[in-house]
Amino acid sequence: MRQSSPSHRFVAAIIAIVTVAAVGCGKTPPASFRLNMVQATKATVPESGLEKPWASWSRERQQQVATILEAMFGTPDEPVALPETGLDLAKLQLAAGPVRSDIVGRKNGLYREHCAHCHGISGDGMGPTAAFLNPYPRDYRQGKFKFKSTWRDAKPTHDDLVRLLHEGVIGTSMPSFALLPPAQVDALAEYVKYLSMRGEAEIALFTYAEQELGADEALPTTKEFLVDEVLTPIAEKWQGAADARIPVAAIPAGVDFNLPGNDLANRDSVARGKALFLGDGGCVKCHGVTALGDGQANDYDDWNKAIVAVSAEVAVGLLSSKEAATGGMSSDALADHRARSAWLDSFAHVLEGDALRPRTIPPRNLRIGHYRGGRRPIDLYRRLYTGINGAPMPGVGPSGPGGKGSVADEEIWHLVNYIRSLPYEMDGELGADRPMVAKDRF
Amino acid sequence: MTGRSFNWTHLVACLLVGVTAVLLSFGALVTTYEAAMAVPDWPGTYGHNLLLYPWADWLQGPWDLFLEHGHRLLGALAGMVTLVLAAVAWRSSARPMVKWLAMAAVALVVVQGALGGARVLLDDKTVAKVHACTGPLFFAVAVAIACLSRRSSEQGTRLSRLPVALVVASYLQLVAGAQLRHLDAAVSPSVFRGLVGLHILGAFAVTVFAVASASSVGIDGSLSSRRWSRGIVALVVLQLLLGLGAWVVSWGMPAGLVPESWLSEPLRARSVWSAMVVTGHVVLGMLILASSVVLAIDAGGWRAVTSASAAGSSSQSRAFA
Repeated sequence: MRQSSPSHRFVAAIIAIVTVAAVGCGKTPPASFRLNMVQATKATVPESGLEKPWASWSRERQQQVATILEAMFGTPDEPVALPETGLDLAKLQLAAGPVRSDIVGRKNGLYREHCAHCHGISGDGMGPTAAFLNPYPRDYRQGKFKFKSTWRDAKPTHDDLVRLLHEGVIGTSMPSFALLPPAQVDALAEYVKYLSMRGEAEIALFTYAEQELGADEALPTTKEFLVDEVLTPIAEKWQGAADARIPVAAIPAGVDFNLPGNDLANRDSVARGKALFLGDGGCVKCHGVTALGDGQANDYDDWNKAIVAVSAEVAVGLLSSKEAATGGMSSDALADHRARSAWLDSFAHVLEGDALRPRTIPPRNLRIGHYRGGRRPIDLYRRLYTGINGAPMPGVGPSGPGGKGSVADEEIWHLVNYIRSLPYEMDGELGADRPMVAKDRF
Repeated sequence: MTGRSFNWTHLVACLLVGVTAVLLSFGALVTTYEAAMAVPDWPGTYGHNLLLYPWADWLQGPWDLFLEHGHRLLGALAGMVTLVLAAVAWRSSARPMVKWLAMAAVALVVVQGALGGARVLLDDKTVAKVHACTGPLFFAVAVAIACLSRRSSEQGTRLSRLPVALVVASYLQLVAGAQLRHLDAAVSPSVFRGLVGLHILGAFAVTVFAVASASSVGIDGSLSSRRWSRGIVALVVLQLLLGLGAWVVSWGMPAGLVPESWLSEPLRARSVWSAMVVTGHVVLGMLILASSVVLAIDAGGWRAVTSASAAGSSSQSRAFA
């Protein structure tokens, strides 16, 4: 491939500069990861007797975390994969960077082409379009993923992520990438893991700073701390995901998933599932007796819950800060008060600009027949078994290996059968003797 | 234009309009498929002279390369046709405005080509946005030349106010659309929200001016003006639907607009259908702009003729009615 000559570049640069100056805007800056400012601000609570101005101390700590993260994970254009992460750098390079393709059509910058507009460059779920989407795009930085084949608190396997990318999530803005070559989907899944590990490492650093360090102490930069203490525990969870798959019970006799959900051959199994739905499964609490999702609907998922909690804390803090009588304070107490007020003000601004307005998560209307984590019986089985990580949906299976769930493993298949039959069931059949206040929602 | 000689200026201008329409459609596809960086060098293509790049490699090569190199070839063709147009217009007895517009077209096509090159060499989204705004401007100038070169100079060059407002609104709407299409993934949700708000406001303005223009020329316009104005209203209605469609294929149905049970499948990234809807929205926006230019000139010309007839005097040229 011939490179463009310097003269061409020069002419192009001159024209671009003149044009850009003419329209009053600058060249697009290179992509960079944004700090998790909610964590950063939370971790820099002003301490009593702080000698430096709070804002400058806070900036120093943020800068230190940013520098460490860049050394460990690189930049959006040039990712770094330390051996401990187990990540494939070639795949990351395919997904990272600006969008471009070569003479044989091999494309780079896949993440920015397909994902960043919603999930953000940093994977913080704060891409430009995020505020318009419902549900909000996933914030990978907490390392929590909803739809997977592993235990509730375990990481998803690589195949789980690939499958989700391939299938998309019905009823949301997350599309299916089934039309992309498998190698591209694979690279995107790897990059999602990379962003997630980076985000988790960032949270771990800020949490360590908050809990272990004084205001003037810097984060350790030794390999023992950064790799062994911070990175390895995170990476091991990801690498161990394949061994954290939940067991799948044998399908009981009398259950035939090859038949439609309303087939009479499944009648007994469906009846058994219905009893579990109304009883031990505890499903009616949120999904309602009608299964229209008209039970408790004012809960938040973990991502929104964290913002709700911290917003309330900041609001209360600001109120008491404004009401505090500063007249009789000593100069030291007054300095502390001012530093804390500045911190609260800053936090309020961060929540305004770096967090989306919290939204409740309504329980699914099971009569529509849309299952976000997949429509196959095995997908429903897994959702029921472990619940949905990060969401209020609890599992009916054991919470971990060797545990005991509220419903026996093989019985879960009956529950699956019943849920599959719900879209075919007449409205009046279930809970006809009970009030159906939200019936008109269907 | 001499009275009886063949109107070469008009013919070449029409050819330029056709070439530019295809060029802009290719450009819109390049953006839809994010294929702008499929060819990293410029002005050549992978070390070859632009015009000498092997045709078989282009036609049988990757889709992104097909789009980007095709866009460049069409750009080169548009540049050549523009030069021919300028030469023909300058040598003919076309009215001065046509001559100057042809010169402006030459300047614009040169700038646009250089911007395309800068977009590639600098791989910069800001330049891409400017490139996307200059394209429709060039198209509007080409359409204006085609319209003005058709008529005799005695018909004047009046422009009607409402259609001119429609031209401006259509163009600004394309500018706002370009900001959304070339969005930097690093911008905040509030910036995107502002841009979407601006684009919706623009859609409202275009709709109002289109309907107002149609009712205005419906009262005192020529038959062709009335047809153009009604056609524009129809295009605007279609464009509003395509705009909604572009949102739906990109991000799904806005919450609450239709029951979730109506949606049977997840969205599909990179489907031909979604690419056609999104690209169609851009192309239709350019067609609305072009039609508005035609209407502004046509309606203005008619008013000039009728007012001249009413005054019983020879036609006069004024910039705006």
